[in-house]
Amino acid sequence: MHLQPDALSWLFLGILLPQVVASAVAGMRGSVTFWVFGLGMALALLAGDAFTLIFGFELMSAASWLLVLRGDERPATFYVTMAIFSGACLIPAVFLPASSVAFVLILLGTGAKAGLAPLHAWLPKAHPAPPAGVSALMSGGMVKVALYVLIRYAFIILAPAAQPWWGVVLIAAGLASVLIGALRAMLEVELKTVLACSTVEHVGLIAVGLGVALRAKAMGDETLEGLGLQAALLCIVAHALFKPLLFLGAGEVKHAVGTTSLNWLGGLVRGMPRLGGLMLLGAACMAALPLGAGFAPEFLLLHAIIGAAATGGILARLFFTAALAILGLGAALALGAAVRLFGMGFLGRPRSLQAAAADDIRGAPLMAMGLLAVLILPVALLPGLVLGTMTPVLLLLAPQAALPPLAYAPLSLAVLALLLAAALGFVLQRWGVRGTREVAGWNGGFGAPPPWLPFGDPATQPSATGLAEPVARAIGRGVLARDMADPTEAWLVAPLLQLYRRLVRLAERIRRATIRERLAFVFGALVVFLLALGLGEGG
Amino acid sequence: MSLTFSLAHLMGGIVLLCGFLLLSQRRLAAMITLYQIQACVLAAAAFWQGWAQHELNLYLTGIITLALKGLLLPYGLRQIVLRFNLRRAVESGMGMALSLILGVGLIGIAVLVVLPSTMRAVSLTREDLAIALSVVLLGLLVMVSRRSALAQIIGFLSTENGLVLAAIGMPGMPFVAEFSVALLVLLAFLVVGVFLLRIREHFDTLDVTGIEAIERRGR
Repeated sequence: MHLQPDALSWLFLGILLPQVVASAVAGMRGSVTFWVFGLGMALALLAGDAFTLIFGFELMSAASWLLVLRGDERPATFYVTMAIFSGACLIPAVFLPASSVAFVLILLGTGAKAGLAPLHAWLPKAHPAPPAGVSALMSGGMVKVALYVLIRYAFIILAPAAQPWWGVVLIAAGLASVLIGALRAMLEVELKTVLACSTVEHVGLIAVGLGVALRAKAMGDETLEGLGLQAALLCIVAHALFKPLLFLGAGEVKHAVGTTSLNWLGGLVRGMPRLGGLMLLGAACMAALPLGAGFAPEFLLLHAIIGAAATGGILARLFFTAALAILGLGAALALGAAVRLFGMGFLGRPRSLQAAAADDIRGAPLMAMGLLAVLILPVALLPGLVLGTMTPVLLLLAPQAALPPLAYAPLSLAVLALLLAAALGFVLQRWGVRGTREVAGWNGGFGAPPPWLPFGDPATQPSATGLAEPVARAIGRGVLARDMADPTEAWLVAPLLQLYRRLVRLAERIRRATIRERLAFVFGALVVFLLALGLGEGG
Repeated sequence: MSLTFSLAHLMGGIVLLCGFLLLSQRRLAAMITLYQIQACVLAAAAFWQGWAQHELNLYLTGIITLALKGLLLPYGLRQIVLRFNLRRAVESGMGMALSLILGVGLIGIAVLVVLPSTMRAVSLTREDLAIALSVVLLGLLVMVSRRSALAQIIGFLSTENGLVLAAIGMPGMPFVAEFSVALLVLLAFLVVGVFLLRIREHFDTLDVTGIEAIERRGR
């Protein structure tokens, strides 16, 4: 056990700290398991040797399993299976010499923990299960610790053996995550599940950035490597701030309304203006809108992909062009998911009495969310400065990289937009039409509520399911399974489950063997051993 | 000296042949007779080795083998057969042809294992060891392939004969080992005899299929 933090460790600790503080303030500070969870993550980040790293990583897995178990049993079992798989891949990998086998094992182990396709099916089930503070830390922190292990091994420890195809594998897995994650975020109805699917999408974006950088590193293109790393690290920082914010907000919605199903929310922004504002900020970041924290990383990522498309042969060019298209589709779907999240949950008319009567947040949860929101502002408005502070990390990962300054200055853009809005407001105030005028609006197709139903019939409003239906028809049925379930459930999880059942049946058959059959087992083993001995000696 | 070898090999061969014939016998009474012949030949082999090696211990082994396995155990087994009225009982386990083929295969494996791995040892013990291992494996095959508890016991006893055959062919093997093995077999025989009585009381048969069915139902 010894600790040896470097710039990369400090960066990840820095993004972990506000989340832990926010989750603790929001109500998890009394739970010992929560602190063990945090301790495990910190240990994995600070580790100076492989043993400490694995110890912290598994401590984190075990503690988070206990926390998920508090919420629900079925996802917890699924989750712990994936965690054990991840451990089984990582433990041999960290002791292997630098080679492709070690990289594949690291990728499987960290990918299973980070929710990288095709090992992501557990994430939209397990992340929404525990209390909101834990969901926030799992989505914002635990996933990042897995990515930290991936970065440390791929870029530092295994770097001497790096191959270009490592990066291509990472990009392909990331693109699949982006597509599936964004599509499911658009289609899911539960607020927390939407957020978890969006986490899958963002992990995919980060993986694409890391993949471009890794491929460029293996090919010796340090500038492109720097660009890919900038995109990935900035995305990690942004996601680690806005996703806990959204998860904590979802927890407060659950607390106030009693449900997080988008089909039963609506109009929350009137009763809960503070929560609405914070969630709007988070949703804008999630949608990668300009002036939001999610825009700069996506901007850099598209730059990196375009840069990578100019390297390699015709196949690489085609691959990166397709990647660009998938990223564009993912960005559009993420925007749709954010609009749907905010529009269905917070705008419109309440769909239930509880939603109409919800009280605004105050006290500790407001402080926790406010802290995260305040920290988002510099990342959103001054991404160039944030990238500047990350220079030691980038130089650690890519020593010869020439780091181009970011050609995107949202602060001046924001100031310009503000000036424009102020001028427009002044013009309207000065020369605009005075007074109000009643006009017959289209109003989304429904009229004023009848007097005996003050909130209107919820069924006359479009529901979250209905809003997602066109997307489900256009692409959902092509990419996802028939009932909009995850495609990996049919292709990966179901066969594995079947194999597991078969093995259990076999084990049960062995357990029920009669005395004669057991004798025969032992006898057969003896004969096989003798045969092996005889053939070995004879050869 | 060559007479020593050839006679020892001849007796070992007869022991092996008896073990092989055990596989092919369906009737319990015939299996007991074969076992008796095997034990008597084993005793003769022990006497011969004692004379050849000038070893008093081996005479003692031969006497114990003759008295215990050549006379006492077959007598006990026959008593069980008489008491349970199994004179005409026919064993229905694995098919005879299949078990004979497996037996040939096992002898092949024994030769394959012993001959190369004891290249540096004295030639007398090498072939003897191969024969003894074959007898042990054939006895185990009898235990596995038969369904009647009595036939399984005979297989077990035949396995033990193979061990003794290995022990007497090996110069310098302490007498205590053989003696304790013989005692152990006698005790096991007594325990199993009581056990057989209990099985018979409960199920009216020595076929262990009934127990297996109960075992399945019980879990």
